[in-house]
Amino acid sequence: MTDNSAYSIKSGEVTLTNCDREPVHIPGCVLSHGVLLVLRRSDLTVVQASANTSALFGVEPTVLLGRGLDALLAPDQVDVLAHFLRTERLENGPLFALTAIPTGASGPFDVTAHTQGELAVVEWEPSTRTGLPANPDYYSLVKRSVSRLQTATTLRGYCEAVTAEVRALTGLDRVMVYRFQSDNSGWVFAESKRDDLNTYLDQHYPAADIPLPARQLFLKLWHRLVPDVRAEPAELVPLTNPVTNAPLDMTYCSLRGASVMYTEYLQNMGVSAALVMPLVRDGHLWGLIATHHYSPKYIPHHVRAACEFLAQVVSLQLAAAEDREGQEYKLRIRSVHESLVLRAATTDTSLSDLVTGSPGLLDLLDAGGVALVQGGAVRTAGRTPSPEQIGALVGWLRDRTEGGADGVTHTNALPAVYKPAAVFKDTACGLLAVPISRSRRDLLLWFRPEHIATVVWAGYPTEKDVQIGPHGPRLTPRKSFDLWRESVEGMAPAWSEAEVEAARRFRVAVLDVVVGHAEQVAKLNKELEAHVEELDAFAYVASHDLKEPLRGIHNYAAFLIEDYQGKLGTDGEVKLRAMMRLSQRMESLIESLLHYSRTGRGEFVVRDKDLNAVLRGAREMLQARLQETAADLRVPRPLPTVRCEPVMVGEVFGNLISNALKYNDKPDKWVEVGYEGRTEPDGEGGTKSVTAFYVRDNGIGIPAKHHDAVFRIFKRLHARDKFGGGTGAGLTIVKKVVERHGGRIWVESTEGEGTTFYFTLGG
Amino acid sequence: MVANRTILLVEDSDADSEATVRALGRCVGSPAVYRCADGDSALTFLRQLDRVDGLASRPAVILLDLNLPGTDGREVLEQIKADDALKHIPVVILTTSAASADVAFCYRHGASGYIVKPVDLAKFAARVQQFHAYWFEAVEPSTA
Repeated sequence: MTDNSAYSIKSGEVTLTNCDREPVHIPGCVLSHGVLLVLRRSDLTVVQASANTSALFGVEPTVLLGRGLDALLAPDQVDVLAHFLRTERLENGPLFALTAIPTGASGPFDVTAHTQGELAVVEWEPSTRTGLPANPDYYSLVKRSVSRLQTATTLRGYCEAVTAEVRALTGLDRVMVYRFQSDNSGWVFAESKRDDLNTYLDQHYPAADIPLPARQLFLKLWHRLVPDVRAEPAELVPLTNPVTNAPLDMTYCSLRGASVMYTEYLQNMGVSAALVMPLVRDGHLWGLIATHHYSPKYIPHHVRAACEFLAQVVSLQLAAAEDREGQEYKLRIRSVHESLVLRAATTDTSLSDLVTGSPGLLDLLDAGGVALVQGGAVRTAGRTPSPEQIGALVGWLRDRTEGGADGVTHTNALPAVYKPAAVFKDTACGLLAVPISRSRRDLLLWFRPEHIATVVWAGYPTEKDVQIGPHGPRLTPRKSFDLWRESVEGMAPAWSEAEVEAARRFRVAVLDVVVGHAEQVAKLNKELEAHVEELDAFAYVASHDLKEPLRGIHNYAAFLIEDYQGKLGTDGEVKLRAMMRLSQRMESLIESLLHYSRTGRGEFVVRDKDLNAVLRGAREMLQARLQETAADLRVPRPLPTVRCEPVMVGEVFGNLISNALKYNDKPDKWVEVGYEGRTEPDGEGGTKSVTAFYVRDNGIGIPAKHHDAVFRIFKRLHARDKFGGGTGAGLTIVKKVVERHGGRIWVESTEGEGTTFYFTLGG
Repeated sequence: MVANRTILLVEDSDADSEATVRALGRCVGSPAVYRCADGDSALTFLRQLDRVDGLASRPAVILLDLNLPGTDGREVLEQIKADDALKHIPVVILTTSAASADVAFCYRHGASGYIVKPVDLAKFAARVQQFHAYWFEAVEPSTA
């Protein structure tokens, strides 16, 4: 198939595999409803004629060859047409010349013409115009439509209005706006149809459905009508133009024979007539106004002209409508951005609070789900992969070096670059990742589901059974949809420039907030330090300024007893002694409090220390009590050497052993000190082994409900003078020491049988 | 036994002062006690004594409280030890504070002893009497 061979639709062999190279501009045939004559401009004699002159004009094409126009038109009409061809600029496409009833024809024909170098191409199509004026009134036809279009606010609304107007103008069964994507695939973006027809809205078609030659043609002509897809095309006679010695270029011809593939596809859909008009934005084919009619439908030239005019108006306004819509999306993003930043900036809102709530991170961009990964924790909203899958994804992202300087990366085909994503492509096929920490450990992730998942339910073609043509089911919307589906397998709708930019801007804002929070934490720490210092000062006050008056009370009570002996009476003296005892008790409480506060703060130097030595020290301190109670202090095996603050740990042993001796009413008392290995959760999902020390006794035991209370400061389980008293701060101080070592303490006990205190000294 | 049996007690609390005086009163050969209720009057008293009577009338030992109104006990200690005429008088601290920082400070600045006051009067008296026994019976108080 070369341009110079005498090709014709009828003789050519276009197949599904070569249709992308089909010479659609030189089909060698015309649509059978009209006649095409090619004239030599120099003498206006016919050099080519379509074979259907016999059917429409009652004259064989061969008879017309070499003749002038007077063979078909009256002399005054010949003059009009000759003048028209001489004076009009016709090289850029056909213009309407006149309406006439050719000799031998049964009715009037609209005559349009254009020129190609030495040639004039004159096309004759049946006219429905009745009477005068002969000039087509596009304006009145289109004016109302255009004014109605102005009221649409969204691009889709605008396109819907366009389909309705075209349908009103033409009376066609179905009018669609078909929109191309950047990959030349397309989808039905708007539709107006007869109520009883299935909708094609949101159906997607692969790029191959409208092959490149067809797309190129649509940049050159403003409408294309096939009034009856079943009508046999009429070949040109002769097939090769004798003037140019080449096939006639029919790019601009209204009557250009339709591609076999095209007509078969239409037939397979049950369509009989189709009118298509291109929508062009900035020199690119943006989309098509595609129409279907389910019976043959001829649309006369002047109505087509009106539609064509409408398509041109729409094309001119597309840019504005599309920009406006983009602008509105940007505005929405900006307003959500600002609300989010405002929420984040309030002192008690952490980033994770922004994941949900209103507005949330999901409102910022058109996405299916969003996740915040911060400090290893994952918070999500919308539809996302599982936290484990997100964790793995974050690890992969961190190891990648790609992405901008700010680490922002995005893809609409995640499974192609990250294989494990294949299993969750229905939630996260598209990914927009924004690091919010220098290490890229903390990230914001927006997810988009696979494209197919979002449209399959809306746009899967369902058509009535029709007779499928010779090229098989490929030329059906259902097959087209399947092919498109394959072509977008593993793809999500791409992230637009505006969206990526918005994510970048949000990142900067988040970093500001993070830095702001860090500053706030620093400030709080400073305040906390000041508070702790105040507390220190308070401890000092407690030790002196509280104790001095206390001693005063005590002393004066003592002086009273001394100085007024015999005058107070027994009762007076007893009361004074009670007063002295209470003041002493208050002093010991103050002392305990001071001790406790010193345990929590102040010097804490750990070193490796043999706990046997520590225990020995504690034992010496308790020597008197051990002898007094005749208790047996057992150590089944030597204690290990551990890293600790020895003085404080000595206090732990001392306190626990002292309690064990104190709360024991058995005749044979014993206390056992030892250790055992234990497995504990490590706080990161795993486990670790730790050494648990224990002090066990055969004492009175502690009821289970008090197992927590024993560690509360000044909490006593028994009357003050039972079991030897004490302030009730001992276990609180023990717990503090253990916690300062990073360990924990707990109690196991059976009432009446004994108690075991366990403690660890950190990892 | 020595001739000079006077003690200067620098103490703002009447209760503590009385407790101290009572405890000392029970000691053998109960010493004479001068009392100053604040740091400034103590320093004035010491320097005035020095001018009028010379060395002989100076206290054998000073019992000094730390928390004093106006010039603080710590500063009184520093001033005494910085004064060539007074620095040889032993100063024993008698205070409520058991803070290690206070103990360290006082010994660093030349204190001869540090007694923490207990709330129990009997214990208080015992400590004061121990103090007396040490300074007036075991050792010879400074008369230099």
